Amino acid sequence: MSLLRDEDRRQIRKEFEALTAPVKLIVFTQEHECQYCAETRQIAEEVTALSDRIELEVYDLLADEEKAAAYGIDKLPALIVMRGGDEPRDYGIRFFGIPSGYEFGTLIEDIRMVSSGDSGLSEATRRQVAELQSPVHFQVFVTPTCPYCPRAVLLAHQLAMESELIRGDMVEAIEFPHLSMKYQVQGVPRTVINETVHLEGAMPEAMVMARLQEAVQAAA
Amino acid sequence: MEGLVSGFGYAGSQSDNNYDVIIIGGGPAGASAAIYTARADLRTLVIDKGLTAGALGLTAKISNYPGVPGPINGAELIETMRAQAESFGATFITDKVVGVDLTSEPKMVMAGTNSYTAQAVILATGSMGRTGAIPGEVEFLGRGVSYCATCDGAFFRQQDVAVVGNNDEALEEALFLTKFAGKIHLISPTPELKARDHLVAEVAEHPKIELRLGTRLKQICGNGAVDSVRVQPRRGEEETLPVRGAFVYLQGGLPITDYLMGQVETAREGCLVVDREMQTRIPGVFAVGDLLCDHIKQAVIAAADGVVAAIAADKYINQRQSLRTDWK
Repeated sequence: MSLLRDEDRRQIRKEFEALTAPVKLIVFTQEHECQYCAETRQIAEEVTALSDRIELEVYDLLADEEKAAAYGIDKLPALIVMRGGDEPRDYGIRFFGIPSGYEFGTLIEDIRMVSSGDSGLSEATRRQVAELQSPVHFQVFVTPTCPYCPRAVLLAHQLAMESELIRGDMVEAIEFPHLSMKYQVQGVPRTVINETVHLEGAMPEAMVMARLQEAVQAAA
Repeated sequence: MEGLVSGFGYAGSQSDNNYDVIIIGGGPAGASAAIYTARADLRTLVIDKGLTAGALGLTAKISNYPGVPGPINGAELIETMRAQAESFGATFITDKVVGVDLTSEPKMVMAGTNSYTAQAVILATGSMGRTGAIPGEVEFLGRGVSYCATCDGAFFRQQDVAVVGNNDEALEEALFLTKFAGKIHLISPTPELKARDHLVAEVAEHPKIELRLGTRLKQICGNGAVDSVRVQPRRGEEETLPVRGAFVYLQGGLPITDYLMGQVETAREGCLVVDREMQTRIPGVFAVGDLLCDHIKQAVIAAADGVVAAIAADKYINQRQSLRTDWK
């Protein structure tokens, strides 16, 4: 049974006609598929089928542990959106947990962004990002039915694309209760930057950059 | 899995989300502004979170609106204004603005899952904002206190929760929560719910929802996270309800400016200061109606403000030297 509705498939297929550079989706699952592993893999398969500019690789967390280590995958399901083709490039864009509900839109947006090669961030943000000296890890906790969450996730992914030092994870809060508990997440979106800085809600770019600087300074 | 993908409105291409003017708030100020901007051939979008969320929309009878002898229902009067604006080409959508970026060009307004851009923005969100937090509300934000059931409902699977409020938004969110929560105590400060009839009926009939009308929320309690709320019915003893979540949709009398995230300077009590053309200190950003300081809170005055701002927005967008009035 397909997960995407016909009209969405049609619309997305049409939009994907504008894709230029190739995109690769990588899904990590496991032999005895976890709660939403099968559906995540299926979403990736159905989206890949909508354009010949998108390729898909599926790995097993245990059997392909070297690959998992290389991509920094420590939990399932995991989905990576990266540049594909002859010059593959991993920007650090990750989905942990199923990208369903509103986050499905984020996945489509990521594919378009990665294909275009442009993060879409403002000039001011790009300048700030270029000055980063140390790694920054964004974990954006979401639930699929949260309308404000995609904005927070997309920003983290844009930042990941813009800088090799930045990794941006969507973390679906309900699938990872131990992480939700660790960061005391009971309201989403909640963005955790480098373990230390917590943002509630989906803030505009400039405000997130200010909090990023805080996190970087805290570590310094 | 219900609504697994695409069920919640994958918004698709953003190419038609660009406008000349975005008006935030669709009450008399916003609707009147929209009439004038639309007639000035400015592509106009009005984003409003709910007909009965605003001061006029909540008013059962109004008899002193010039030209409308009445008594007429406030919501009806607004609907007439909106229809008028729509007849000139303005677009109205129902959604909640969650953020703005007024520093970028074009300016950006984020509502629900969508982003819209415009050259000019008119702020018309009125003053039904909260006067202050209930004890425990700030302490437990994100630890049981939430303002978004669609975001956070899933954290309360099969747990009892409280929804506090009496308007469309509160009832819609309570109904959404029935998908997850065990029991839902709907705590309304007023003896009657101030929402559309079909919502009131649905909520009254739902087996999971327990109505507590005419009841005031006194405190949100807990130890690290919410574990109960203390409520005071109009008649009777104070009660403690064991709940793990409190979703708060109360209204008050303060200007609503939270979505601005500090980008527009506010004066005492959060009101906005503007010049004679309703412009804030940010060029192209206007504020009207009950948002303003030292303002007489009446519908006709809000409407007049909206029109001044509309004409000024037109001047700003078309870079005119002076205001141009609409004689058509």
